[in-house]
Amino acid sequence: MLRRVFLIGAALAALIPATAAAKVKVATSINDLASIVATVGGPEVEVFAIARPTSDVHRVEVLPSYMVKVSRADLYLKVGLGLDQWADGIIDGSHNSKLTIVDCSKDVPVRDKPVKADASMGDVHPFGNPHYWLDPRNGAIAARNIAEALAKADPAHADAFHSRAEAFAKDAEEAWKRGKALTDKLTNSTMITYHASWVYLAAAFDLKIVGTAEPVPGIPPTAKHLADLIQIVKAQKVPVLLQEPYFSKDAGNFLSREAGVRVVVASTSCDTPAAGSYLAHFDQVLGAIAGTGASTGSTN
Amino acid sequence: MAGKRFILVACALSALASSALAGVVNPDISVIGQPFTRFTNDAGDPANKRVVLDPGEVESVFDAALNPYARGTFILALDEEGLDLEEGYFQILRGLPAGLAVKGGKYRVGFGKLNPSHPHTYPFSDRFHVLASYLPGDESLNETGVSLSGRIPAPGDIALTATADWLNGNTYRIERESSGAPNDPIVLGDGDRGDEPRPAWVARLSGFFPVGDRSGIELGVSGTQGTNNVAAQARTTVWGADVKAKLWNSETSYLLVQGELLSLDRDNAEWDESAAAYTLNSTTPLGGYVFADYNFKSRYNVGGSYEHFQEATTAETSDQAFKLFAGFSLMEETTAFRLDWDHLIPGAPGGVPEPDAVDTVTLRVIFSMGPHKAHQF
Repeated sequence: MLRRVFLIGAALAALIPATAAAKVKVATSINDLASIVATVGGPEVEVFAIARPTSDVHRVEVLPSYMVKVSRADLYLKVGLGLDQWADGIIDGSHNSKLTIVDCSKDVPVRDKPVKADASMGDVHPFGNPHYWLDPRNGAIAARNIAEALAKADPAHADAFHSRAEAFAKDAEEAWKRGKALTDKLTNSTMITYHASWVYLAAAFDLKIVGTAEPVPGIPPTAKHLADLIQIVKAQKVPVLLQEPYFSKDAGNFLSREAGVRVVVASTSCDTPAAGSYLAHFDQVLGAIAGTGASTGSTN
Repeated sequence: MAGKRFILVACALSALASSALAGVVNPDISVIGQPFTRFTNDAGDPANKRVVLDPGEVESVFDAALNPYARGTFILALDEEGLDLEEGYFQILRGLPAGLAVKGGKYRVGFGKLNPSHPHTYPFSDRFHVLASYLPGDESLNETGVSLSGRIPAPGDIALTATADWLNGNTYRIERESSGAPNDPIVLGDGDRGDEPRPAWVARLSGFFPVGDRSGIELGVSGTQGTNNVAAQARTTVWGADVKAKLWNSETSYLLVQGELLSLDRDNAEWDESAAAYTLNSTTPLGGYVFADYNFKSRYNVGGSYEHFQEATTAETSDQAFKLFAGFSLMEETTAFRLDWDHLIPGAPGGVPEPDAVDTVTLRVIFSMGPHKAHQF
């Protein structure tokens, strides 16, 4: 009897820390990847994101506290395509030898690959536009990359990760169809964006970007460029200017006053790293563009 | 045959350089120009009360991953005196046991918060007088050595980091003037064994405390000791405490407050003719600086600083300095203008009339070509 109690106790003792240690700790650059990994990883993962959804993801300050967080992680999921180069400083500063780094842009069809890239063209990304997660179908590709990485980190749950990634891909397809049905109803699908962040969203949902407030990426609007935009907005009756919360509202207010464009402020990232937040973000942003009042959280 | 080989090699190199692989096999290269114009009423300056235009120092930065766990960096400085290796070091950042990191080579030593940073990253033109006065080295405490750092476990996301450096120590050297005595080793031609090794050390403990999800406060203490005269066994010891707080109040604006308190304990070697031996006179001055810098709309900053320090040669005399500064980035971070006014009030020993205050106005342009690096706290 005593032997049995001892054996059961030993088994439980071995099981409890094993269960606690079984969770794969995942760090991501942005909430969107965190939300996807929360969906794909389910209860087997702990996840956190570095960049705040309302901050400029191109320029994230490397805080020592981020390094401490990443020092405890098993996986780091990068956006890739040169967007989150700051993550390298965090990863290096973490001094984490066991960390596996995953570039989630693998297999994503990249848009706007420049033939030549230099600073005269603004802050261009030499590997192409990196905001690929703004097409839910690219989110599905990232989900499969994430499932692959999770399966290597935790082989015992590999099947669950892969099946959740496939389920997520179906949900992403549904989100795309839902958004497409909304944008198909628009009488004018043209829009202006502040920065070239939204090209994947526009391509996915047949929205036509006819200009950007920045004359070239990363360069603030000039008076002449805004005057040219007024002509474009008036000629094509462009209904919406879509811009991120961290850009100055001056240009948008000016275009709104002079040309009647409606300014929609929306983050390129979802509000939280929780499962479901990533796909819900498309409903929010597209609802705000369509003017159906679906804007919440990071949009207004 | 040789001509054909040359053409083939040239074609191969050309193809490699122009291919996407160029970015993989070559290091990132940045070039930073810092021309400036300056006006000062310092009577001891050859340019007293005249406007000076200066090309400044050009920095070329080469850096790349050596492998998944290590990085290498070279920084060359080009100025009117020629080309100089300002820094050249490797870092093993991951893969070592117990989360340790190693840095080796020539580098700006991690004493305090300002010394490790390059001047073009300051919100003002020049480093503070107290640092120039107390820390060894002409432009910074920049040494050849090896550094070992590790993180100390702490609750939550607090980052406690301990660093220890073993340095070559050459910048600690102070050339003693000859006493003129016939038995002075300098007169005898023996010198003060100035070419002998003089190892030095630096130690630092810092703690970063996050405030919210973007702001933070860092506290640190540093110490260093080196030999300024080998024959006399004269040492220079500096202790420092620093604080830096960066507090964001919107997506595009923040307040930066930073200060350092330094204590210098320096043996000054002299030759005693009658005893035929060295004597050591110690000075133990204290000083520090504090500055506040407000950044707004991502492209503008204004701030001011105050420093008060006892002179390194005699702690009986204290100097003060005020600085006002403003900066503006033309389009984005590649081109910045920095204007500052420095008002130095030199002290004087009791009974001696105080010298005139020195005003210096500097306008510096910083332009940077090459990859943008992440902003470190």
